[in-house]
Amino acid sequence: MATAGATEAAPTRLRSSMFGARLGEAAWGYGFALVPFAVFGIFFIYPFIYAVYISFFHWGILGKQPGASGTYNYAKVLHDPVFHTALKNIAEYTVAVVPLEMALGLLLALLINGKIRGRNFFRAGFYFPSIASSVAITVIILYFFSPTGPFNTFFGFSTDWFGNASTVGWSIVGLNAWTTSGTVMIFYLAALQSISNDVYEAAALDGASAWRTFWKITFPLLRPAHFFCLVVFGIGALKLFDQSFIVSGGTGGPNYATTTPILYIYQQAFKTFDFGVASAAGVVFLGIILVLTVAQWFTIGRQEAS
Amino acid sequence: MTKRLAVVLGLLVAVVALAATAQAGLRAHKVTNITVAGWSSGPDEDALVQQMVNKFNATHSSVHASWTVINGDYGAAMTARFAARNAPDVFYVDSSVIGSWEKQGVIQPLNSFVKKSHYNTKAFYPKLLGAFKKGSTIYGFPKDWSPLATEVNNNLFGRAGIKSAPRTWAQLRSDAKTMVQKGVSKHPICLSADWARMGAFMYQNGGSLTKNLTSGANAAAVNFYVGLLKSGLAYTPPAGSWCGQELGQGHAAIIFEGNWLLPYMKSTYPNVHFGIRPMVKGKQNGNLAFTVSWSMAKSSSNKPAAWTLLSWLTGKQGEKLWMSKGLALSPRSDVKSIGGRGPFLAAAPFAHGWGFGNPNFASAYTVMGNDLNAVISGSKTTKQMLSDVSNALKGH
Amino acid sequence: MTLQTVAAAEPAIPGRPRSQIVRRVLFYGLVIGLALVFFIPFVYTISTSFKTIPDSVNVTLIPHPWTTEAWHQMWTQYDFKLFFKNSFILCAVIVTCNIFLAGLGGYAFARLKFPGRDLLFLVVLATIMVPDQLRLIPIYVMLTHWHLIGNFYGYILINLVTATNLFFMRQYFLTIPKDFEEAAKLDGAGQFKTFWRVMLPLALPAIGALTILQFQGTWNDFFWPLILFQGQPHLYTVQLGLANLRFTFTTLWPQIAAGSIIAIVPILVIFLALQRFFVSGAVTAGVKG
Repeated sequence: MATAGATEAAPTRLRSSMFGARLGEAAWGYGFALVPFAVFGIFFIYPFIYAVYISFFHWGILGKQPGASGTYNYAKVLHDPVFHTALKNIAEYTVAVVPLEMALGLLLALLINGKIRGRNFFRAGFYFPSIASSVAITVIILYFFSPTGPFNTFFGFSTDWFGNASTVGWSIVGLNAWTTSGTVMIFYLAALQSISNDVYEAAALDGASAWRTFWKITFPLLRPAHFFCLVVFGIGALKLFDQSFIVSGGTGGPNYATTTPILYIYQQAFKTFDFGVASAAGVVFLGIILVLTVAQWFTIGRQEAS
Repeated sequence: MTKRLAVVLGLLVAVVALAATAQAGLRAHKVTNITVAGWSSGPDEDALVQQMVNKFNATHSSVHASWTVINGDYGAAMTARFAARNAPDVFYVDSSVIGSWEKQGVIQPLNSFVKKSHYNTKAFYPKLLGAFKKGSTIYGFPKDWSPLATEVNNNLFGRAGIKSAPRTWAQLRSDAKTMVQKGVSKHPICLSADWARMGAFMYQNGGSLTKNLTSGANAAAVNFYVGLLKSGLAYTPPAGSWCGQELGQGHAAIIFEGNWLLPYMKSTYPNVHFGIRPMVKGKQNGNLAFTVSWSMAKSSSNKPAAWTLLSWLTGKQGEKLWMSKGLALSPRSDVKSIGGRGPFLAAAPFAHGWGFGNPNFASAYTVMGNDLNAVISGSKTTKQMLSDVSNALKGH
Repeated sequence: MTLQTVAAAEPAIPGRPRSQIVRRVLFYGLVIGLALVFFIPFVYTISTSFKTIPDSVNVTLIPHPWTTEAWHQMWTQYDFKLFFKNSFILCAVIVTCNIFLAGLGGYAFARLKFPGRDLLFLVVLATIMVPDQLRLIPIYVMLTHWHLIGNFYGYILINLVTATNLFFMRQYFLTIPKDFEEAAKLDGAGQFKTFWRVMLPLALPAIGALTILQFQGTWNDFFWPLILFQGQPHLYTVQLGLANLRFTFTTLWPQIAAGSIIAIVPILVIFLALQRFFVSGAVTAGVKG
């Protein structure tokens, strides 16, 4: 029977062509990702493996030096009270600044996403602090918030916001939330574009208020953007260096209040020239970030990609 | 390939080609024999060093030196170059880091060159040259130096009716009190939370930074310094500022800074009249000497040429030119500093090296600053700080 | 979606207009207030650029006296024309490479199935965590060894594509409905054609965002040019040129202010030019059509 034979032959052909297609797809997948992976491999993964390697030795500017090896550097780092302070500082900072940045960025994106007058002006205005280089902005802000600067004069304060161990942490949180929210805004603006208007029209027809529309529809649809911002800006916050370096002049003070893990690594590498300890600290810290990011991946990020 | 892709690739190739040709054109002009590098404290300094290098090039046909400024993080930039073995041939080294750089093996010992060219090392002040020596090995020649002095705002002093700047600790305190009482200044003295200033006071009380750091004399000096801050007669400069800026803005009436204050005040606060007096004294005179050397890279592949430049820069000719703008004081007894630097020069006999030779100094400095802040805010005792710093200097 | 469009969709009911006006006023008040806070440093910087050096340390908004000395100096004394050219070349090359490579890689991770994909993606994410300070020495030694230091090639190479950009493109591709690819496949398009002809054009808002952000990132990059170009004045970028103005003690504020403004203008222009890719409707038109 021709039809029976045909139906029997067809599945086999379909299966083999499907397998061929999947093999082809895999090949294309690897091919597409090849060049990026080469770049990441050479300039990120290799230096990291190199750092892991030297973390087991006493390592100076010109290479291996006689001295303690093995897990000595790790013990030193893990027992160093300055490193503990650095970890505490960065944890507090990240937990404060990331939600602030994301909320502010999302708010700004929502505000200017639609047809409002002077839209271009506002977009440029909100993005503005993000544009200026961090060095220039930090220096300007240091001036603005100095004890006799404009802010204090206007509001009648006399605190040295960036010079006091108790206020400098929050001051840097404010500074970075302000300069980063513009960038967060850009990402959310792009993401908001992928939500078609039909969705909003349907919600409006149903009589949903702006608030409900936002929470029940917009916010969940922005999930990929949330995950992206959380990871990228979370990691960015954990890697804080520039502002603490500029504000403290590289010392991490006053009284270790601005010491972050990256500043610690920098000091060990470029002041003490103990690259072994710096690398050990780097590996430990990276391990912590990795655990956090994987946790985020498993809770928020797992996407049903085709 | 599709048209769009071709256009994009074409653009990419064009831009890269443009970049390549731009550099090729410039490469043809680059004729460097040896490289010279340092940081710059102002446009004056940059221009002056360039002038010196030009003069050297004009008078030395076989060596051509090119000077570049490395501003920003000098230490990190140099460290990267040392690691890649392509450091500049001749460069600045601050006395507080020479110990650790020498220990890392990146600085060239100069004794053989000195011997060969019969270089006159005796012209250098022994204490300054000693900053860059380990035993009898010379790792660099000081190009200049400066101690601290007392600088006062003449206007504020006049308004308080005080005739002259304080000379002793007691006068320092009483002058400040007078100014507060007369309402001339809220907190007249600017004191940095920095051992690079407090250290002078420690020597003035008979203490020392290199011997017996935890002594009672040191502790008493620290307590005096911190006491001034706690009593409100003195204050620390806010984040991003320094005492020089505070003097210029009229917030401080008495500060302690070095010769570097002068070019700064001249260009930034030319209308502020301030007086320079010798550094105050406690039980005795005591001061710190800050100095920078010209040194040679161990990885240099042009050492004889580099030595020719180095010896010229720190020789009589080079130093004479360097001193002409008064940016710092002369390290040689046969070259005069610019006029009007009496109060600084007077400190020469009592000036002790800042960070000299100790390879743990840079990392100990971080402990110094943070702990001093803790002592000022009351969360650490003087005794604890001194023992912390002592341990850090020993490398623990 | 905005508060505006949803409000507009509601039918007019008596009594409604007043609350709408109140809402409008509050809305614009909030936006303008926020914009002012964000704009303050710019205003201050402009003002500083017209001050004399001694006056520049004052906290006043009006320069006293008023001078264009700093602007004049920027253009004549400091080689900013060269710095601009260098910065522009680097930005153009790096942005183009990033769009292409991050788009390609992002698409692969979002839509193509290959063994180990999710694990590899985590590895890509992990590279974002490696701090520059840790990478500095090995990269510098590598690039010196390959003679990629005294030129732009080393810098371009390490910035060919960033994990952040790839990650972003992937997230964006995930939001595009699969209908498009299926339609393309039915038309007989291969993988690359599907990507190039269909998916990449659909990702225009993301590409726009990426262009702005990568341009800004490269334009403002200070750390790597400092390490790689320091000592080669003909390679200096705008940021390096500006930094050299910040000498240790004497800070030429008016010059830095003028230079900062000159430095910011190109990014602002790029931003204003590419903003329209964010306008709602630009993409939705593609979905409906």
